[in-house]
Amino acid sequence: MTTSSPDQLDEFRAGVREWCRTHIPAQWRRAQTDVSDAEFVRFQQDWFQELRAAGFAVPHWPKQWGGGMSLAEQVVLYQELAAHDAPRLVLAFVSIHHAASTLLAAGTEEQRQRHLPAILNGEIWCQGFSEPGAGSDMAALQTTARRAGDGYVVNGQKLWASGAMHADWCLLLARTDPNAPKRHGISYFLLDMRTPGVDVRPIRQATGESHFCEIFLEDVTIPATRLVGPEHAGWRVAQQTLGAERGMTMLELAERLGNGGFRWLVRLCARPGPGGTRPLDDPLIGDRLATLEIELTGLRALCAELVANDHPGPADASIVKLYYSELLQRMTDFGTEVAGLAAHTELHKPRSSGWESGAWMLDFIGSWEWTIPGGTSEIQRTIIGERGLGLPREPTGH
Amino acid sequence: MSTRIEDLAELHHELRAVARDLLAKTAAESAVDWSLIARSGWLGLEAAAEFDGAEATFAEVAVILQELGRAAARSPYPAVAALGVGALNELEPGQDRDELLRDTVSGTTIPVLALPGEAAAAPFRLTRTPHGVLLDGTATFVPDAPTADRLLVPAIDSAGATVIVHIDARAAGMSVARQPVLDATRDFGSVVADSARPESMWRFHGDSDHALRRLHERAAVAVACDSLGLSEAMLDAAVAHAGVREQFGRKIGSFQAVKHACADMLVRVTVARKLVEAAVRSQTGDRADAAVTASMAKSYACAAAVDIAGKAMQLHGGMGYTWESGIHVYLKRATLNRSLFGSPAQHRRQLAERYSSIEYS
Repeated sequence: MTTSSPDQLDEFRAGVREWCRTHIPAQWRRAQTDVSDAEFVRFQQDWFQELRAAGFAVPHWPKQWGGGMSLAEQVVLYQELAAHDAPRLVLAFVSIHHAASTLLAAGTEEQRQRHLPAILNGEIWCQGFSEPGAGSDMAALQTTARRAGDGYVVNGQKLWASGAMHADWCLLLARTDPNAPKRHGISYFLLDMRTPGVDVRPIRQATGESHFCEIFLEDVTIPATRLVGPEHAGWRVAQQTLGAERGMTMLELAERLGNGGFRWLVRLCARPGPGGTRPLDDPLIGDRLATLEIELTGLRALCAELVANDHPGPADASIVKLYYSELLQRMTDFGTEVAGLAAHTELHKPRSSGWESGAWMLDFIGSWEWTIPGGTSEIQRTIIGERGLGLPREPTGH
Repeated sequence: MSTRIEDLAELHHELRAVARDLLAKTAAESAVDWSLIARSGWLGLEAAAEFDGAEATFAEVAVILQELGRAAARSPYPAVAALGVGALNELEPGQDRDELLRDTVSGTTIPVLALPGEAAAAPFRLTRTPHGVLLDGTATFVPDAPTADRLLVPAIDSAGATVIVHIDARAAGMSVARQPVLDATRDFGSVVADSARPESMWRFHGDSDHALRRLHERAAVAVACDSLGLSEAMLDAAVAHAGVREQFGRKIGSFQAVKHACADMLVRVTVARKLVEAAVRSQTGDRADAAVTASMAKSYACAAAVDIAGKAMQLHGGMGYTWESGIHVYLKRATLNRSLFGSPAQHRRQLAERYSSIEYS
């Protein structure tokens, strides 16, 4: 699993801790509340370069591309970043995780050389998988890519592409063979977002933010050199890279929740309320906190195992996704309840903070970003039942 | 380091296979043959070689405990291996202690620690009288006390330290009364000492309060292992049933409501397994977080087991509610486990006590 000895890990932790103390921008939460898009992007890019200089931006990448950290070290890194309330790399999330893992697993050497260094220099990616008629049922996607000369001509509409308004590139799934069975006629492309015919429109979400976008594609040309994996094999590429990636992203998110989020929650419960009593003095509050701490401990162990395991079970990633997203929902719901009416007066949350903003009501509303996208909780349960337990498939209409 | 982990995984795999095979040969509700258990070497897993033990750890005992839960087996093994041997290993060596340990490993004697099934401090007391030192007190819901021939009684001596009194279960002044419970796979007894004369008194290595707390933790983790095993058995049974039983012209496992219920059971079993593994690791290494991991595992795994056994009964429909289905055996055992050695709420309260003192800033 790892070659780091406990002593080496302690030393590594001390180094990260010291780095956190001297590099995390003071008062960044306040400074990142009510800022413009441009300021947010600049802050994210600067923070990415800070982390990169320390070797902390892409610890999960192979060494030759600028990563190479052991799993045990990555866990320590994320624990310390969470404990010191570091800003999250929300803007680079798709670039350093999904784009990188796709390129590493299925990209050509030329594609890797072109994009991996560029990602380190700040190239931003989004993901164009979902469509109005193809959410959790991704194989139903309708966007077409028609072969024309040295490339493809793409038409269609994508939905829920997070951060697409800031993106330079897009991981795009499109149907290349309309006559093939649903999953067999799809191809995987790298789309330059500045190509003529690409139109991005942000969608206002339940939280009031506009993180997700629609992408309209009208006669967009993609060179054939930007095909990832064989033509028509895009479904398989997407499944492999998404499955592998889910564990990695979960490792950070679990530590954020367990190490950062739980501290926020305990601090909230330890703060005296209007009557002078602390929520923590109520045994029921203590019981619910302990329940969450136990569940979070289980989550962190699950994530560490998923990442360490070279041969995860067919439903392991779904188990983690389902459990994480619903636990996040219980936790932010509880935080909102404890915070009381004051939670409803936090009208804005700091950008760069992800869900653990401390604005409990906005975080609670935002928790649906996790139980709906990436396959809803209902879809995850079906995957777990069928692939994990071998239960009979549901009858389908096709 | 990685090869050691692989070796251990291999060892646990073998131990589990042997245990599953052996337990499958015992008829439901009958006690597992004690001599068979002794011959399997399970009693000496944690004992040193000089007592004919295997010098293994609690992690290996935990594998057996989990299989006993999976089989809903009736056996004093958890009481003897987790508590009896656990206590003997914490005591200062001496000729009679060593002898008892050796006899326990060989299976010729069944020593039971008189630890009350409901979490509490040592309820026994030693008093110095003109007629010698006398033992008094009562412990209820002591697992497998009716089967024991030797009792290890935690008692507070005149100096206020907790010691272990070694006494014959049938000695004058000692009485063990069976406490019938709904779970037909268990034997509980109340142990009463009324001016009994201890045969010997043994001291713990180091701090005796700490040692007794550790034994409570071990007991809680042992029950969590049992609940994990029985949860796995109930999930397997529900999935097997849902895969063959047909209603409305379809296998019921293809209905989303049934499938999703099974998926939730798997998620809970998976989380319970991680928490139990962590608790067993802490027990094995005598780590500082042993009390925390024990409370987490006990509270989560034992609460989950009741939900899972209950869901298994529900998914089996009318058949599940019959006596013959045997699912009630698991539901009763799971529910009893939940109360044994600290309820989930009690364990969560212990966890919550840390929140005020831990500096979370």
